[in-house]
Amino acid sequence: MSTEVQTLDISPVGRVEGDLDVRVDIQDGVVVNAWTQAALFRGFEVILRDKDAQAGLVVTPRACGICGASHLTCAAWALDTAWQTEVPRNAILARNLGQIAESLQSISRHHYGLFIVDYTNKNYAKSQFYEEAVRRWAPFTGRNYEIGITISGRPVEIYALFGGQWPHSSYMVPGGVMCAPTLTDVTRAWSILEQFRRSWVEPVWLGSSMERYEQIRSYDDFLAWLDEKPEHANSDLGLFWRMSNDIGLSNYGHGHGRYFSWGYLPHEDKYNKPTIEGRSAAVIMKGGVYDGRTDVHSVMDQAFTREDTIHAWYDEPGGLHPFERTTTPTQRTSTDFSGKYSWSTAVTHADVGRLETGPLARQVIAGGDHGEAWQNFDPLLLDMYRKMGGASVTLRHFARMHEVVRLYREAERILREFRLKDLWYVKPTERDGRGWGATEAIRGALGHWIEVQGGKIKNYQIIAPTTWNIGPRAASGERGPIEEALIGTPVADARDPVEVGHVCRSYDSCLVCTVHAHDSRTGEELARFRTA
Amino acid sequence: MTNLLWLQGGACSGNTMSFLNAEEPSVCDLVTDFGINVLWHPSLGMELGDNLQKMLRTLVSGKLSLDVFVFEGTVIRAPDGTGEWNRFAGRPMKDWVQELAQVANYTVAIGDCASWGGIPATAPNPTESVGLQFLKRDHGGFLGKNYRSKADLPVINVPGCPAHPDWITQIIVAIATGRGAELSLDDLQRPKTFFSSFTQTGCTRNMHFAYKVSATEFGQRKGCLFYDLGCRGPMTHSPCNRILWNRQSSKTRAGMPCLGCTEPEFPFFDLAPGTVFKTQTLMGIPNALPAGIDRKGYIKLMATAKATAPRWAEDDIFVV
Repeated sequence: MSTEVQTLDISPVGRVEGDLDVRVDIQDGVVVNAWTQAALFRGFEVILRDKDAQAGLVVTPRACGICGASHLTCAAWALDTAWQTEVPRNAILARNLGQIAESLQSISRHHYGLFIVDYTNKNYAKSQFYEEAVRRWAPFTGRNYEIGITISGRPVEIYALFGGQWPHSSYMVPGGVMCAPTLTDVTRAWSILEQFRRSWVEPVWLGSSMERYEQIRSYDDFLAWLDEKPEHANSDLGLFWRMSNDIGLSNYGHGHGRYFSWGYLPHEDKYNKPTIEGRSAAVIMKGGVYDGRTDVHSVMDQAFTREDTIHAWYDEPGGLHPFERTTTPTQRTSTDFSGKYSWSTAVTHADVGRLETGPLARQVIAGGDHGEAWQNFDPLLLDMYRKMGGASVTLRHFARMHEVVRLYREAERILREFRLKDLWYVKPTERDGRGWGATEAIRGALGHWIEVQGGKIKNYQIIAPTTWNIGPRAASGERGPIEEALIGTPVADARDPVEVGHVCRSYDSCLVCTVHAHDSRTGEELARFRTA
Repeated sequence: MTNLLWLQGGACSGNTMSFLNAEEPSVCDLVTDFGINVLWHPSLGMELGDNLQKMLRTLVSGKLSLDVFVFEGTVIRAPDGTGEWNRFAGRPMKDWVQELAQVANYTVAIGDCASWGGIPATAPNPTESVGLQFLKRDHGGFLGKNYRSKADLPVINVPGCPAHPDWITQIIVAIATGRGAELSLDDLQRPKTFFSSFTQTGCTRNMHFAYKVSATEFGQRKGCLFYDLGCRGPMTHSPCNRILWNRQSSKTRAGMPCLGCTEPEFPFFDLAPGTVFKTQTLMGIPNALPAGIDRKGYIKLMATAKATAPRWAEDDIFVV
């Protein structure tokens, strides 16, 4: 690769479009530099200032209509820790069920609606799998596209049974939940789950029973499963896997190779007196940090979180913990790739630096032997990560889809664990204080930090998974996770760099994402397209 | 063939997510059975590259007919009225909205944000957000009081945070099947067919309302949420308990107070301290009373309700 890589001239604001802009420099058919730019500011943290302490329960699910249950989860737990509430076991289960229902919805909806449609791009017409891909996955008309989009509405029917509607319910409140379901709500939820499994998970996605799929514990197991029966190889999972390898998606999109997760799904008997400090040891799906370069797992603590604003459109000092932030937007936003160029801050771990979040992060952490013995352990993705030489577009997306079975099982367990005659809510005493609520939205780690003073919100800070992943460069110059993952991406046709789109989409950013591809020498814009 | 363009301004995509839950018809049915040609949608559109801008210009020039223009999210005008904080396809989104609205046969605001500003327009409205033809209850909004689409209708407001998928799909089907002219709108430009009844209409807690049995705190199966927990069901226009959510339930059925999200004032009281999930009262009487009832009438109604309440009203009727 040439060493004469030049930073491009600043793109005039006139070239910016959409909510997220990605600028890449291409040289000799390979991406040599990248910048990610969040181009929409909605100011929710500004709106929440001085409002009712519970305003976050109403406002934050509306920060993202795709991950509203995740925001609600965080908003409720943040107040629980600030108000030192007691949360009954039924309520923990009901919150977790809502979180899971939203994730099951997103797994099928994102896969068919947003991700796999790219496999029908004419760029892949030479692939032996192309015709079948078009038959199954073409937008609106593909056979499995329609099945997948339609089935994606079913899991959130369970959310509606407990929360009234999806999206945008506020049924999780400090001290518990608003609902008090009956047996018919539980049995109906069970029927919906069954239908999701019998009409999509098993026949369409896996081509196999969930029980058989759950026996897969290593990369070799997975390959053996794939070859075991034609039904496996020809399932949507099988075709996704084989075609991804065929079109080279397992070869790029590496990234920093450092991952973290807040962990999620608090255990119903272990987080009834929630505290900020007690959360990590109370969640079923463990959190942590995984450094793929040294192959070491360690614990994660919210106290390590820092937000760097040197390249972000805020007039605030860098390196602040969320509790110290003021969310002061710059009034005049011009794009300066050597200066400020994004509404997203650069989120860092105080000791480790930039971290990638998302399903792959959760899964490589699930394979670590850190944490509590009773917490979820799943060695598959970590084994694949090690044997396949790190992260890739394929692996990142596979990790997202892999969760469907585990989450399904947890939903089943929750439905068995509800004790319908017990409490769902314990009325808390409102008080001042600091709180933190976190979860894993399907696309990664989400955290809310709240400070209540005089019965109202003094400070409310949200760090979304997309903030971690699409953040601009940090003060150290270190690239953001997606900026880094784009480096080395091969581009077959510089005027249609669909490969760049794959990398961005594999992170499932919750911003509509526009890719701008430039010639690294001349600065000429070669292509521009949206990814979500 | 009905050309439909869906754009998002200051939006959370919640209305899109709600739309994707549609079943009768589903999103795919709209395309395959009703001839809806989705020109572009931020989540569903295939890559369009520079073609997107080109297509938008073709629409603006009138060479391609824009039958239905759906807008989700607020029109962002910050900073200082420039709209620079929400750029799209090479320029502020508000400029596209202005031009596309002029050529659209029908302009539909989907959700609260596009209808009246919604959450982003909550004080201090940092993004200078506004709805297409309203800002909260003030008529005018971004397009102005006198705006009419080419079919001679003002913006069709389909509010709600989010809007129910049926509310939007039924309107699209009405237009696609040539019955758009029959849409009748209320004074807030909402289709009357959906927004004349109340959220309370069909609520399973109606008997508890009638006998003034209150759910005094969350997590209870019995009791009406209006008296103590701030439910706005009796004053809010929506079919939430007639056309159920996700085919299963509604917020009030599940135990969550209605927040009044189909009305322009949502979020009510700008979320001031003490107003969230708490009924605002004066000397024990709610400040906001069921539509059409005054304080005197309310006192009489409640006295009668209490006096005549049967014994079972205090029992749990939704038993495990």
